[in-house]
Amino acid sequence: MPVLEMKDICKSFFGTYANRDVCLEVREGEIHALLGENGAGKTTLMNILYGMYQKDAGSITIDGHEIVFKSPKDAIARHIGMVHQHFTLVPTLTVQQNITLGLRDSGYPFSRERARCEHIDRLSDSYGLKTHSRTLVKKLSVGEMQRVEILKLLYRKAKILILDEPTAVLTPQESDHLFAMFKQLKAEGCSIIVITHHIQEVLDHCDRVTVLRDGCSISTVETKGIDAKQLSTMMIGRELVPVARERQNHHMDAPVLELVDFGFKRNGGKVGSVNLSLKQSEILGIAGVDGNGQKELLETLMGLRHHEKGKVVCCQQDISNASTAERRLAGIGYISDDRHRDSLVLDMGIAENLLLRPAQSTTTTQGRMVNKQCMLEQATRVVKEFSIKSHGLQEPMRFLSGGNQQKLVLAREFIGSPKVIIAFQPTRGLDIGATEFVHNQLLAMRSAGCATLLVSTNLEEILLLSDRIAVIHEGSIMATIENKAVDITRIGLLMAGVKTEGAAR
Amino acid sequence: MKRRDDEWVSLLVVTGATLLVAFGLIALVGSNLMVAASSFLRGIFGSSYAMSEVLVRATPLMLAALGVSIGFKTGFTNLGAEGQLYMGAIAITATALVFPGLPPIVMIPLVILVGFAAGGAWALIPGFLKARFSISEVIMTIMLNYVAINLVGILVRTSLKDPAYPYPMSPILPESANFMQMLPPTRIHAGLVMALLMVIAVHLLVFRSRLGFEMRAVGLNGRACLCSGIQVNRATILSAIAGGGLAGLAGVSEIAGLHHRLIEGISPGFGYVAIIVALLGKNHPVGIVFASIGIAALQIGSMAMQRTAGVPTSIASIVMGALILFLVIRDSRQSIAILEGV
Repeated sequence: MPVLEMKDICKSFFGTYANRDVCLEVREGEIHALLGENGAGKTTLMNILYGMYQKDAGSITIDGHEIVFKSPKDAIARHIGMVHQHFTLVPTLTVQQNITLGLRDSGYPFSRERARCEHIDRLSDSYGLKTHSRTLVKKLSVGEMQRVEILKLLYRKAKILILDEPTAVLTPQESDHLFAMFKQLKAEGCSIIVITHHIQEVLDHCDRVTVLRDGCSISTVETKGIDAKQLSTMMIGRELVPVARERQNHHMDAPVLELVDFGFKRNGGKVGSVNLSLKQSEILGIAGVDGNGQKELLETLMGLRHHEKGKVVCCQQDISNASTAERRLAGIGYISDDRHRDSLVLDMGIAENLLLRPAQSTTTTQGRMVNKQCMLEQATRVVKEFSIKSHGLQEPMRFLSGGNQQKLVLAREFIGSPKVIIAFQPTRGLDIGATEFVHNQLLAMRSAGCATLLVSTNLEEILLLSDRIAVIHEGSIMATIENKAVDITRIGLLMAGVKTEGAAR
Repeated sequence: MKRRDDEWVSLLVVTGATLLVAFGLIALVGSNLMVAASSFLRGIFGSSYAMSEVLVRATPLMLAALGVSIGFKTGFTNLGAEGQLYMGAIAITATALVFPGLPPIVMIPLVILVGFAAGGAWALIPGFLKARFSISEVIMTIMLNYVAINLVGILVRTSLKDPAYPYPMSPILPESANFMQMLPPTRIHAGLVMALLMVIAVHLLVFRSRLGFEMRAVGLNGRACLCSGIQVNRATILSAIAGGGLAGLAGVSEIAGLHHRLIEGISPGFGYVAIIVALLGKNHPVGIVFASIGIAALQIGSMAMQRTAGVPTSIASIVMGALILFLVIRDSRQSIAILEGV
């Protein structure tokens, strides 16, 4: 008998269906994947289950009883827990405080902190989570924060765990670790629902999968006896065309971007230092486990953090001490890994978000005024060229899907044909279709002569796009290798900080 | 269409609730409701003079609220309009007394400029400290209010004191520094025209200019502006100066149009009420025009109510506070509704 049954769930926002007659059935002790592109309605469905949204129609049955959740509180009482894509932790509190936040234990109002800490440490040990209960959450890496979120659910004795895109922020190893933990939970009788758009993940780790497309449930199948191609066809409704990267003839030009003994301060006071150089029409991929200084490196490179030491040269121009604006004017475009925080003003529309660049580099200003006509023309052009789906140029970015938001970021960074693109996790949180689009755009820029520094924790992405691959570990480059018949194990070792023979070149 | 209707319904509810509070308070002080209501309305619409008084009162509110709104748009929470207003008033008084011989054609632009500069400079202090050292502007602007208000107190007793009288006030300013009386015998003066011109200027600045775009963007997501190479500090500082300058103009307009001399208490809290006006007008220049007239009417009406029905004017302040509270509740309900997708 299924522990959970959702039947004919409907939910619409502003007259558009997010879920239409969706059915989901989860058995006891299984890992159930909810597969679909962004905007397919996966998260909406889970938010309904978790009591965040109220369904318009349909029924939810748990252990044979039909239930109605008015808020997540009711869901938690029924032992349902959810880890959101954006974590809900208080950075200034400890792990223990975050986990027990809002709970009363037996001695209330006198807290029994030591007992709680021990309980949490025991719990995390039993799942091999290696999280210490007295650490401040702000000191944790993203992967560790996720563990705390999961511990939060386990502490509340959740039997049905919902995880929204849990592997989006993890390295391959961390993901494997996560799924190993799920297997253990499964053996203990928990049911796990994983929202994802990674087909391989579904095939490797999940028992059954429900595919959603355009708000409808397409089908539910066992992962045994189905292959990636069939799944992707179900998911996007067509077959996927793989990205083709043709070889480029490298001119022996002087480098477009050069970092010489470039130092940057890492979180926690450690200093990283790298030497890198990029030529025209080249994509240099930087592979590495998240939190090895990638963010600090790029933000220092963009002038967002204090310049420590060394030199940055862009097109024979020393920009070591230049402001962010000057760096951009020198021809550098920046795609951040956090588009909501760093790239977009979510309450402004498409047209205005395109103006978000140094004043000197916009064509839409006349004197000191913004030429509205020109601004709207530019936006119309971009929307058409990048096929951005929206309800109008003035619609706040907030209401666009992640893929469309990222398309706009790309479009803006590509205006004025930059000489260097710095792309930091450019496909983070995007679905297959949008990822494909971003990859093709990056390759198109490469053909147009642009040099690209691609930093990603997704190794597949690096291997797919890069001409050369540099591996970063603890703030320094372990090795730089040509992307020709690369030994994946060697890269994996380099990512872990192990130098093999002949690695340094 | 449905959402539009909801908006009207919620506005009606807010109006009803506010009226309820007002009537409740009037009943509480033991006045006759009908007498109070009719004297309130007659105080506003009873004569052309009464109506003109509303506009006279709306003038400084409009100017100061425009200033506050520019700051709010840029994420610069300027609660110091009161102090900036007084700095503008000090500036015009000092300038007019130091150069009494200037002809009006020179004097008027000069005092406007100096008043704007004084208010702007006063706001520049917290603006610079916020931009450079990220010190909270909220506390600083409030504290600077006290400094400015008490600076007036010192000046009207010392260097700007009228030697002919024993009271703490400055001499009457030379006539060349007076704003034109537009419709005598009413007290409407050229300050109103200046305020309306500023409405247009602020609209152009905020919604049409590149700088205004940068200000709004900084107010909505400063981090993204930083990453995009927009000069966040410049936008913050300029918005502080512009906002403070406009509040300074409110001080200039009060002196040049009404009082013609510096005295303590030329502003019965215009700078604070301006914050309410800016909120009511949703930080939009046109909204601020209506909001300032509305709040001015409320105040003028309540004064009439006190004269004829014996209802204390403090009720107007309470009603204003309640109105803001209801509007905030309404807005938060709306944003929750959007988040939940209802």
